[in-house]
Amino acid sequence: MNELIVIFVSMAFVNNVVFARYLGLCPYFGVSKKTGPALGMGMAVIFVMLIAAAATWLINHYILIPFNVQFMQIVIFILVISSLVQITELFVKRTSATLYNALGIFLALITTNCAVLFVTLWNALHDYTFIESIVSALASGIGFAFALILMSGIRERLEIADCPRSMRGLPIAFIAAMMLSLALIGLGGMI
Amino acid sequence: MDITVILTGIGLICGVMVYVVYVAVPHKVQGLEKTEEIAGILPGINCGACGLPGCFGYAQALTKDADVIFKTPCGAVLQDAEALERLEKALGITLDASAMSKKVLVHCKGNSETIYNYSGVETCKAAALLLRGYRKCPYACLGIGDCVRACPQDAISKQDGATVVDLEKCTGCGLCQAECPQNLIELVPAGTKIAFLCNYALLRDIPGREKCDAGCIHCRKCFKSCEDEAIVWNKERAIPEFDIEKCTLCGKCIEACEQNTLAGFRPRSLVSPAI
Repeated sequence: MNELIVIFVSMAFVNNVVFARYLGLCPYFGVSKKTGPALGMGMAVIFVMLIAAAATWLINHYILIPFNVQFMQIVIFILVISSLVQITELFVKRTSATLYNALGIFLALITTNCAVLFVTLWNALHDYTFIESIVSALASGIGFAFALILMSGIRERLEIADCPRSMRGLPIAFIAAMMLSLALIGLGGMI
Repeated sequence: MDITVILTGIGLICGVMVYVVYVAVPHKVQGLEKTEEIAGILPGINCGACGLPGCFGYAQALTKDADVIFKTPCGAVLQDAEALERLEKALGITLDASAMSKKVLVHCKGNSETIYNYSGVETCKAAALLLRGYRKCPYACLGIGDCVRACPQDAISKQDGATVVDLEKCTGCGLCQAECPQNLIELVPAGTKIAFLCNYALLRDIPGREKCDAGCIHCRKCFKSCEDEAIVWNKERAIPEFDIEKCTLCGKCIEACEQNTLAGFRPRSLVSPAI
């Protein structure tokens, strides 16, 4: 149990995918203009990370390790993640309109997101058990959603802030992101 | 077991799974069927010119409110008669495609003289920041090709310094219009017959800058040559204006223009004076 809590805090906050590992930066700046879409994107990432971690753990332990072909992890993980996301998208689209409206367009966007691939490869690298993989994926997803929502809050304020003309939009957002990640890196020595 | 077998196997299983879900899962959601039908008619290039997230987003907006097509028309659909007919049927409205359909017209034939050597960032936007560009004419096409990169249909190309628009490929989405720092690009009705290729004459003068030798010299020869009274001379700006209805495309004004500032507005021949 202690181990799981350590993994959770480490993946969600101390080694946050965005602030400490600089992964998934494209959606981080692309979808963080408003809180609504940021929340949707965050939820979709949590969801995809969870199913990806579960599926890749099974494939890694029952196919790749027994046949000693772990060097193919990247290729096979990407393949599995993208087809899983496709299946989920189709399924959600046809069964639940509410869920599709909440996750729909974001699901397709994160098919090959590097943060998702990172979590699966990290789990494989550290030989996590199934439960540990799930916890680490959940924590990474929450960390990503947390980063997106924080950033969208800041950017909503920046929209109306009086900043120099040449800095408006992305430049000031980059500076804000820098300060945010500096603050989060302050947690660095915790674990 | 061989690695190729494992990889092929997993790939096959994934493919089959996607297919099975695609075939087997029933359509339970009622609202999305119409959206999917509309999305199937739309071009699916996701150019984003309508301002909505991709063609599916546009289809969703259309399902909610069919009037969206009048506010932000999809250029690609308007130019495809078959798709337009299907869309009219799906939405239950009638559209006047010829009135709404637009094409891109670049108001410069290119190759204005160079006044200094530019060796900065290779985009028109950056080049235009320095004294409005390195061409003699402050409104000239810089020819680096921001519009070429912006076009989702590959309809724009640079040929011998001139910007050539393939009007068959152009959907009139207007993405290139926003990219051009010189404001050279205009969306004109698809039925336009004669293209006026000088922007200097269209816009106001800038003190200290001159137009290039290739531009319109306001000689009125085109106006005098027209036998169909299709050209109206705009006295204030000293440029010809064309009446699409009256023009018979005889080509006399194009022949008369000694500056080659006029061109026939035809597929792939925007800049060539031949008609």
